[in-house]
Parts: sequence; C-alpha cells; structure tokens
Amino acid sequence: MSGAQTSLSFRSNAGKAVGNQKLRAAMKHAADTFGTKRIDAFAPVADVEAMRDRASAIREEVLKNLPRYVDQFVASATRAGATVHRAKDATVAKEIIRKILADRGARRIVKGKSMVSEEVDLNAHLEAAGMEVVETDLGEYIIQLEGEAPSHIIVPAIHKDRRQVGKLFSERLGVPYSDDPQVLTRTARKVLREKFLSADAGVSGANFAAADTGSLVLFTNEGNGRMVTTVPPLHVAILSIEKMIPSLADFPDFIRLLPRSATGQTITSYVSVITGPRKPGDATGAKELHIVLLDNGRTEILGGESRDILKCIRCGACMNVCPVYRTVGGHAYGWTYPGPMGLILTTLLTGMAKSHPVVDASTLCGACVDVCPVRVPLVDIILQLRRRKVREGFSDPKEKAGMALFGKVAASPALFALGQRLAGRFWPVVRVLGGKDVAGRMPAPAKTPFRRKAP
Amino acid sequence: MSGPDLSARFLGNAAAAAAGAHSVSGTGDLLAALGRIVPAGSPVYCPGLTELEKAAAPLFPNRVADCMAAEVTVEEVFGAIAETGTIVCVSEGGRAVQAGLLPAHHVAIVRRDRIFATLDDLLAVVAGAPPTNITLVTGPSRTADIELTLAIGVHGPERLDVIVA
Amino acid sequence: MRAQLFGTCLVDSFFPEVGEATVKLLRRFGVTVTFPKGQTCCGQPAYNVGYQAEARSVAGHFLSVFRGEDPIVTPSGSCAAMVKHHYPALFRDDPKMRAAAEQAAGRVFELSQFLVQVLRAHEKGFPGKGKVTYHSSCHLTRALGVLEEPLILLQSLRGAEFVPLPDAALCCGFGGMFMAKLPEISCALAEEKADSIVATGADTVTGCDAGCLMNISDAMKKRGSPVRVAHLASLLAEGI
Repeated sequence: MSGAQTSLSFRSNAGKAVGNQKLRAAMKHAADTFGTKRIDAFAPVADVEAMRDRASAIREEVLKNLPRYVDQFVASATRAGATVHRAKDATVAKEIIRKILADRGARRIVKGKSMVSEEVDLNAHLEAAGMEVVETDLGEYIIQLEGEAPSHIIVPAIHKDRRQVGKLFSERLGVPYSDDPQVLTRTARKVLREKFLSADAGVSGANFAAADTGSLVLFTNEGNGRMVTTVPPLHVAILSIEKMIPSLADFPDFIRLLPRSATGQTITSYVSVITGPRKPGDATGAKELHIVLLDNGRTEILGGESRDILKCIRCGACMNVCPVYRTVGGHAYGWTYPGPMGLILTTLLTGMAKSHPVVDASTLCGACVDVCPVRVPLVDIILQLRRRKVREGFSDPKEKAGMALFGKVAASPALFALGQRLAGRFWPVVRVLGGKDVAGRMPAPAKTPFRRKAP
Repeated sequence: MSGPDLSARFLGNAAAAAAGAHSVSGTGDLLAALGRIVPAGSPVYCPGLTELEKAAAPLFPNRVADCMAAEVTVEEVFGAIAETGTIVCVSEGGRAVQAGLLPAHHVAIVRRDRIFATLDDLLAVVAGAPPTNITLVTGPSRTADIELTLAIGVHGPERLDVIVA
Repeated sequence: MRAQLFGTCLVDSFFPEVGEATVKLLRRFGVTVTFPKGQTCCGQPAYNVGYQAEARSVAGHFLSVFRGEDPIVTPSGSCAAMVKHHYPALFRDDPKMRAAAEQAAGRVFELSQFLVQVLRAHEKGFPGKGKVTYHSSCHLTRALGVLEEPLILLQSLRGAEFVPLPDAALCCGFGGMFMAKLPEISCALAEEKADSIVATGADTVTGCDAGCLMNISDAMKKRGSPVRVAHLASLLAEGI
C-alpha cells in the first residue's frame, strides 16, 4: 500500500469520489463491461451452481485444516527445491525479502502483480534499501508511474481513462502522446522488456498454492508474470497462507471459475504452475526460488466468526457488482483491498480502530453474494463486522443514543405512536436537524398514520 | 468424444481466443503450413528435440540457438486442451518454456493424439509429479488494463499459431 | 381466508395509502384482514447497522404482537426478509424466542408473493393503463427470492404496457440506514436509477418496497421528472 491508510476518512473520500465525474464515468464503464462479460462467460457453462458448490467445499476444507495444508505445502515445496519462509506479519515478510535480495546483490527487481505485496507495502521497503523496483503488469506500471495505489485487485488502474494514461506515458517516458491502448501497450512492452532482461530478481505473488506438490499457480494475461518467474535468476514469491488448495487435481473448477468471475474470460492467456526452481537438465525456471508465506493476522481471522472471508480467491467479482464500489472506486476505501471483500479484509487485517467507517460501505444489497464463485457469505460477514463495531465502541455516539431510543420506542406501541405524532408536528424542525441529504429526502409524515385507518 | 471432434473443438476454442488455428495431415502438409505461417527469413528458434521439430527445422535458414534472439519460436508442445483451446507447455526434457514467451510470434505444434478433452484430463496426467514449469497458454498475450479495452501482445507473443498435426 | 397485515413503519408513518391499497387488494380476493394492534417496526434500522440488542428488543415486540397461525402479509420485501431470515438468527441462543421467530418466519409473505402464490390474483388480472416499469428491490429478490411474482402481476395489468428497467438488479442506494450514513453515495445511486427509469420512457415506476421508492421518488423530484412513483399495491388497487 503506497501511502498511509485512509479508511477512517471513508465518508469524505467517498464524497470527493462522487463529485469526480471522470472517475464516475470510468467506474460505470468498468462495472457495466465487467457485468456483461461475466454473465456472457458463464452463460454456456453447464451447472455453474454445482461448480460453485464444489469450489466452495474445497475452500472450506482448506480452512478447516489450514495449518495442516500449510505444513504440507512447506514440506513439498522444500522437497521440490524451493526455500520456504514463514512471515508472521508485514514487517517480517518485507525484511525477509529485502534480505534475500540484498544477500545476492540484487539491484533491479521486476515485479508481477501481487496484492499481498501491496498489503505489506513491499516496494517502499525495497526502494528504501536502494533497490529499483519495477512493476511490470501494465496497470501496476501505470499507477507506479503515477505514484498511486491500485484501485481494483484485478485491474489496478481501472480509475484512469486512456487520455490520462497517454498523458502520463508521454510525460514520464518521453514518447509521443497517444491515447490508443494498443500503442500505449506497445510502449510499455518496449520499456519493460529491457527491464526484464536486465533484472537481478523477479518478485511475484501467486493465486494459489498446491499443498501436495508445493506448486505455485499463477493466472496472468500479459505474460509479465511468466517473465518475472522464469527470466531472472532469482524468483521470490509472496503469498498469504490461505491460498492453499489441497491438490493440483483440484484445480479445474478454479481455472473455470476464477477468470470467468474476474474478467469474463473463459481462461486467462496464461496459467502457470511452478514447482520448485530450475533442476538439473531443466532449461526453464529461476535458479533459486524463495516462497514467503504471509500470515499477517490470518490465523487470528481463522479462529473468529468472520473466517469465511478466507475462502476468497480474489477474483474481484464482488467489487465489480457492488453499487458502492461502482460509485466511489477503490481508493476511497483507503487501503489495499476495496469493495465488499476488501472492506471486510481491511477491517479484519488492519483492525476496527483504523478502519471502522468502511464497514458502512455496503447497502446490503447482496449483489456480491450472487456472484461470489466460492460462496463467501459477504453480507453476513459485513453484518458481523457492524455488530463488532458497535460492541467495540466505534459507533458514532449520536447514532448510538438514537438507536437506544429506537430500541425502546419501537418496542412500545404507545411511545411509537407518540414519536409519530411528534415527528409529524415538528417535521420542519426534524427536516432541518436531519439534514437535507437525509430527512430532506423523505416526505413529510402522513397527517393520519395508517394505523389509525387500519382494519 | 472422438479424435476428430476433439481436434475441431480445440481449434475452434483456440481461434475464439485469437490464436491462428490450423490442422494438417502428414509432415509434408505441416511443412507447407509452416511455410505459410512463418515469415520467410525471420530468425526462428526451433529446438529440434522431437521428430516433428527435426522435420521442421531445415525450413528455417535463419535458425537461432537462443530464443531471446528469435522473432519466432516453432516448437512441438506437450499437448492441448479442447475445452479451452489451450496449448500446454511443459519444461520436461529440458524444454525452455520461455521460448514460447519471449519472441513475438509463437507457433505451437500439437500432435492430434495429445489433445485432452478437459482441464481435468490434463491435470490428472500432470498433477502427481509436476515438472518445474507447466504453462497453459490460451491465445496471444493480452491486457485490458486501459479502459478494459483489449490490447494484444503485451509482454508475451502478439501472435500465436496452433497447428494440430 | 384470514391474514395479518404488517404495515411496516414506513408505510404506517409516511405512506398510509400503500397500507390502504394493500387492505383493498387482500379483501378483493376474499381475505379477512386483521391489523394486529401495537405493531411498530421489524427492527431493521438497528439490525442492519449492528445494534443487536435494540434489534432483538424490537423483533421481540413484533413476535409478541404477531401471534397465531394466520399468514403475515407485508407490502415490503425487505421487512419480510428480515422476519424470514434474520429473526431466527437474532434469537439463535434463546430457544423459546427462536421457536417464536421460526414460527413467524414460516408464515410471513411479501404482498406480491402472497397475491400470486396464495391468492393467484394474477389469473383474474387487474385493470391498468400507461407505460409501467419496475424496480426489483434487492432484499425482495436476493434475500427473499421473489423475482417473478411482481412481474407476473404487472403482466396481468390489462391495458398497461410493461417496459423492463435497464440494470434492474442494481441497488437504488436506499439501504435503510445507508441513506443516512452515506447520503452522497445513496443520492448518486438514486440518480443512476432515475436515469434508467427515464430512459425507459415509462410514465410510472413501481416496486414492492416503500424505502426504495422513497429514495427513487426524491431523485425523480429533484430532476423535475413527471414520472409517477407508485408502490405496486397502489398500482394494482387503483383499478379495482
């Protein structure tokens, strides 16, 4: 995450975003495009629901036995020749990676897209150690040039339009201005190819890890992920512990579900399965492979009521359909992960004290639950977090007082009727006190409530 | 599903993913197809490890030993998946999987009897003891990172041809 | 047949005409409507923002008012979903209250659901007019699973033309307390909904939840739109 967490200012972040017409247009375009593509991609698939059930059951099995699968992965990846490191938090993970790189004299690092590396704010740490870190996913490259954080977990620069990217490239790379995505893509290819070939190390994430074989599984489209993991002599992968899948044989449904849910593709251009470093006789693979398994609070989440969020496979479908995300974009949430899965992870990983306003960022419409390929009960978890927010004393004191009053009044017909009469009589005052954006959007109470005319 | 159906399904899905999809019968036919697909005189990386690659190699006068120096890679791949129109590149036997990544044009030859019907069929074969690298390749390299507008050929090949032989 | 009407706090306080229309419709199909005295609210305002104790207190009151075996009918998908799905969860650890919650959950119906599934009101049809579009509210469709019933009723409006709403499944931005907590986003979503409604060329937009309709109505009013916003109960009842 580049920059400090701003989740506490969610409401003002959101207010600014709502007024940003360029952002709104980009987000609406994205939501509409993703929505249609996802539906089209699933349309020809027989029995999607059974497929979701199977994938959900596998993720559930992983969570039930997570420590065992992690241990199994560590053993099998080690057997395959990788060095596995376990990091309890972001600080430890960053330092492990810096040390691996520094010990080998690595100066130029090429990076594949990794949300976990954003979560631990890896780039800043490596840059502070004097390393050059180059993001190579086109979207990540764009926001790195701009000095921004990703606003979507799949399409990091989704908040930018082609003219903004054209201007950025011409200013920062000294190329003639173009707003043709194909031309801009070619520019990035040229600039980044140099970086790949001269890099000392590649750092990637992983979408999944197969516990039985110690394999990393990466879904990519551009080919940068393949470059990062095969071209430089050293490959460091960082992933969070819950990305385990019991066996490679379990993957077909995930290969079918993840790209369709994420981008509406039948399959991504590339699905790479990497098992250990280059072995004798191999012509492929980094000479050295280090895998950093990040906990960063996940073991604690696993023991709590909201553990089901760890089933998430990071497809981004929930944000693509979320009315709030669609309106404010990803940056408003103020941390690495936006949208429904993001507000949940933000709260659980960074703590209620640093994030509580984002638990309000849902209308509870349930569109996210409809599309989640692994059936994470997102709305139920958001409700759990809201209860926790109240329990832990992070709710607004006025709201708290209001709710205490509501709890009494709405449980007493006499008080309720009195409340109705008072609201009716003093509506002009209520309207002003309630604000034009709230009470001002409601009609005046009826002169005669329905209860007085009811049978 | 029978062989010809699998091949047709594979080629149809590969074409849908923007790959050039070709079917040939016999070595002569394969060489003719390669002659049409590979621009004459371009530096070609063709590892020459399999019978088909050995047969194809003499076609390319400008054959290079290092895939980094090539504009085209012509190789026989491990197999294909009909369900998704995917070719399967595997590091087995000293094959450089990145040969299908670095040059701008990748020509992949798949033996007809190496087409798997589904992802499950392929994974059942490789899941037990996977080699260092298995890459499923479906269509050319692509991105939609700018306004979700498809652009082809980011870091990997901008052109992929698959030939069922 | 008898039915207990749950008016809902919004209809009771702000939209009594929707309550009256509901009574008229139910009676028209031979239902003896009772209005259990002392009813207030389902408790969603507290439940949806995490005030568990307050939600339990209001839900407990609801359960003390709605007794017996008659179906509970309410002109709100959201309130029906609250009783059906969240009441049993609210009293998970209280066997006695949980039994009462499950009993209520088992007999609660949203109005369009009751009209179609139980009364088969669509078979007779309703007089109608004009061009009508429909906003399918989120809790009605997703939490309660009522997708077809309102459409079946709209199709049975004789003389009216039904036009589907683009992006019908997109939330209108109401979200109960959401409208108060994040009004900027709520208004922006209502604006989007209003755009879609205007684009249909309909002269009336209808729906099954007074909250959503209130939010939509405000957005329509702000742009001076002549499109009428009417609860499905009102629309069906006005011709009979």
